Amino acid sequence: MKLAIVVQRYGAAINGGAELHARYIAEHLARHADVEVLTTCATDYVTWRNELAAGVESVNGVSVRRFKVKHQRDPREFGKRSDRVFTERHSLADELDWLDAEGPTSPALIEYLAKHGESYDYCFFFSYRYYHAFHGTRAVPGRAILVPTAERDSAVGLHLFPPVFRGVRALMYNSHEERAMIHAVSGNQDVPGVIVGVGSDVPQNPQAGRFRQKHNIRGPFAIYVGRIDQNKGCPELFDFFQRYAKEPAGRLSLVLVGHSLLPVPEHPRIRHLGFLNDADKFDAMAAADLLIMPSYFESLSMVALEAWALGKPVLANAKCEVLRGQCIRSNAGLYYERYSEFAETLHAIEHNRWLSGSLGRNGRQYFQNNYDWRVIERKYLDMLAQLQARPATHAMEPLPGRADRRREDLAPADDVLERLPKAADQDRRRA
Amino acid sequence: MADFNIRSDSVNVEQIMEQIRARIREKRGVDYTEQQISELAAVKMEKFLDARGVRSDLLEEFRRMRPPIDPPVRPNYVFDDQTLFETHRAPIRWLRKLLLPVLKLFFNPSPLIQALHIQSQLNTMQAEAEAQQLARGPARDQLTFEVMHNLVLEATRMGIEVKNLKMRVESLSSRLEFNERRARVLESAVVYKATEPAAEPLAQPPAAVRREFENRSEARPTAELRPRPQPEIRTPPAPQAAPGGQPAAAEGPGQRSRRRRRRRGRRGGASAATVIGGALPDGTTPPASSGAHVSGDHPMDQADGSTAPSADESDSDVDSGGPEPDTQ
Repeated sequence: MKLAIVVQRYGAAINGGAELHARYIAEHLARHADVEVLTTCATDYVTWRNELAAGVESVNGVSVRRFKVKHQRDPREFGKRSDRVFTERHSLADELDWLDAEGPTSPALIEYLAKHGESYDYCFFFSYRYYHAFHGTRAVPGRAILVPTAERDSAVGLHLFPPVFRGVRALMYNSHEERAMIHAVSGNQDVPGVIVGVGSDVPQNPQAGRFRQKHNIRGPFAIYVGRIDQNKGCPELFDFFQRYAKEPAGRLSLVLVGHSLLPVPEHPRIRHLGFLNDADKFDAMAAADLLIMPSYFESLSMVALEAWALGKPVLANAKCEVLRGQCIRSNAGLYYERYSEFAETLHAIEHNRWLSGSLGRNGRQYFQNNYDWRVIERKYLDMLAQLQARPATHAMEPLPGRADRRREDLAPADDVLERLPKAADQDRRRA
Repeated sequence: MADFNIRSDSVNVEQIMEQIRARIREKRGVDYTEQQISELAAVKMEKFLDARGVRSDLLEEFRRMRPPIDPPVRPNYVFDDQTLFETHRAPIRWLRKLLLPVLKLFFNPSPLIQALHIQSQLNTMQAEAEAQQLARGPARDQLTFEVMHNLVLEATRMGIEVKNLKMRVESLSSRLEFNERRARVLESAVVYKATEPAAEPLAQPPAAVRREFENRSEARPTAELRPRPQPEIRTPPAPQAAPGGQPAAAEGPGQRSRRRRRRRGRRGGASAATVIGGALPDGTTPPASSGAHVSGDHPMDQADGSTAPSADESDSDVDSGGPEPDTQ
């Protein structure tokens, strides 16, 4: 069986959530099938500048075919178009322009798929919101399997994407919340889909002591791992933590791991260690008392899964439905919506060893049951077997004609998003 | 947080969160989200801002009071040096041009033409300025609304915060009051315990001692004028000093006080005999000071017979107001 993994960026040094997800899946599926990755020459997700050479290369034993990006992203233009489609009545043409402005615009990749798509049995498209996924699934609809990695943000309210969700052969969801949201926005309940997520290669014996010694860190601490960014909820985390640090009962420090796009506050109990390699990262997580995930938008937090795999409790932002749902389903994490909850939950995990230990144990169990690589691989292979056994029953809806595309009758994406039910509770009950 | 009520071995995160929220409500009162604050500001803000009589539909009212104005179309004219003589009839135009020198013999039309031309330009400029101002109007209004809205929102937030702080202050005052009461009760309990072992009938102090006490208390600061507990006036059994000056293992109440007094006496240098007029008949140190040292009689002090002398001395200095005469 020959499989294609189509993703916006790809490389051993690229650590974006969806990109890492795609790499892990490619490397694990390569044990069962002939896998080729189709991607762009970009490494920077802000500009999509061509930085790698076009052509074929091998990354960790997987063949990677790269295509040039036609033009870089102009942030001002993209911002303007985003405002237009997210907040105003607009046309489908506006949305197509938005997609083009968002990038990575690589017509060569789409052309290649259209020409050679038949040489693959199935093509996995990662991240529904990018150019390659929208046009790629339309180029090979009968072979397209979408890994949407959708978050509850404005893009999901655009009118471009529901036909894609309905037109692909199957969807590999990351979470119950993501599936419920995509069902609600597109009504694609009849399209085969499975909640899979992604595993992680967590070392068996991370060295917590080594980490403490190397970075001279003493005492209990909470850890945040990931890009230190506005979108990840870091300003709120800094604010909450500094308030928490003023409370006499709190003894925890905060250790930040990852590249920073924001100024990190100067505080004796906040340490920023920058980017760490995987071994150090896992050592750090093993040394921590808990992981904090302040992000508002996540389709699946791999870091949270890794923390659970290491038996660490997670404190998540309850505004992110996915994280909150995962905490509840796993019984392995607490969540906060405002400062008072942040402080109390942190105190609870810090001072109640029994609670902290129980959450950690539950997390480890949850990871083993749902995100162990054997489970993930089995789910992918079962889906492929299911698709091979059943011919496609639906087709991709064509794009409207030129005149219809110009009709400005589409509601702002933010309004669509606002109307979407918050399905976490219903879905949890169903689960 | 040891007071979580988790009864089973299996953790239920939702249940724990409920408990945490209940605890927050108990500790911090009602906690509002941003959305709730906005709702309060929009609907119930008169509750918090009643003094100013701010209306909850303030923004709507403001908009209603100043409806959008369409800029009026103002007529204007163009005036140049040919305007007065213009006509669509060519022969007449030619004739006027021909007779212009004759006209200029009667009066000079140039200043009139110039003035009207300038006036026309001024009209145009004024109209443009007004149009610009009107165009900016909605944006300015929007800004005003926004500022006002934010002010109202902040005022509401402050109101809520003040309310919460008041609640906390009340809670703290009640706690403080409780603690004060508790401290008073404990103090009285300590005094009571100190007097408890005295099963013997109270002995009257020698008259000289009483006189000395009365005389000295007049000269002392107010803190020293507290009535001293009676038991200290009694004469306890003489302490059995161990060889080398070490106190015996089992000391009776009041012995340590006496040792302290002796030490102070040595420092003070004055003989008790000179003060109280002689030693007691049994030859033991008379309890010259009736100033029972409250902290020295504390059960903890009694249990610990090896209290550091320096601590004792500092205590006694505070309570007894300085060195007292030694009987030796």
